[in-house]
Amino acid sequence: MDWLEDELQQALRRQEPSPDFEARVTSTVSRQVNAAMRPVLLMPRWLATAAAVLAIAGAGAGYRYHQGHVAKEQVMLAMRLAGSRLNRIQMQMKAVRP
Amino acid sequence: MVFSVAYHFLRDRDTAEEIAQDVFLSLHRNLGGIQSAAHAGFWLRKVAVQRSIDASRKRMRRPQVALEDVAEPVARGVPSDPMLGETLRRLIATLPETPRMVMILRYQEDLDPSDIANLMAIPVGTVKSHLQRSLALLREKLVRRGVREE
Repeated sequence: MDWLEDELQQALRRQEPSPDFEARVTSTVSRQVNAAMRPVLLMPRWLATAAAVLAIAGAGAGYRYHQGHVAKEQVMLAMRLAGSRLNRIQMQMKAVRP
Repeated sequence: MVFSVAYHFLRDRDTAEEIAQDVFLSLHRNLGGIQSAAHAGFWLRKVAVQRSIDASRKRMRRPQVALEDVAEPVARGVPSDPMLGETLRRLIATLPETPRMVMILRYQEDLDPSDIANLMAIPVGTVKSHLQRSLALLREKLVRRGVREE
């Protein structure tokens, strides 16, 4: 090997990247690994959306059923009250009439 | 090794780091196909060479000047000995891409012509002639600049 080849080896000796290079590569790799594992660990986005829509629709139907039930109870109570008042009036009228 | 190949080839630290990161991520994706440490070394060198050449071609389509390539305004006259390394790196940067990569693999990675041929998928004879011609060209340019008298 002559002087030029010696100088070339010196000139082209290995250079190191910046000190944070290894950390940056490691963090990018771990980000990619996490991104690759996400569909396995978590439910897909469409499934989460469908579950939310079903839950909201179910809650709406349940609320409507409850409201109907309350209204029915109120009607029944009103009818019972009206019936008892009617009976009382009839009894009073019988008592007044000779 | 990966960063250094890209850095000496492109003389641009940021691009070399991007390439090195890309090569390591690519290795991570292809870990299943790696059979041994030697194979990993060969694979890393090969991909680093390919990505560096690709980046150089991209840069030729969209020319950029790296900070390292900007001429120093005070540089004049015959370079002193400590400047010889920088002069050599600048001269190597003027070589066409194949002989430039051959020189980097030979003198940075200390690879034999047959290993370089294998890595770059070119005949051994081509590698040897690139080495001879590049050395002769560098020697001639250095002598012309008065760096060394033969």
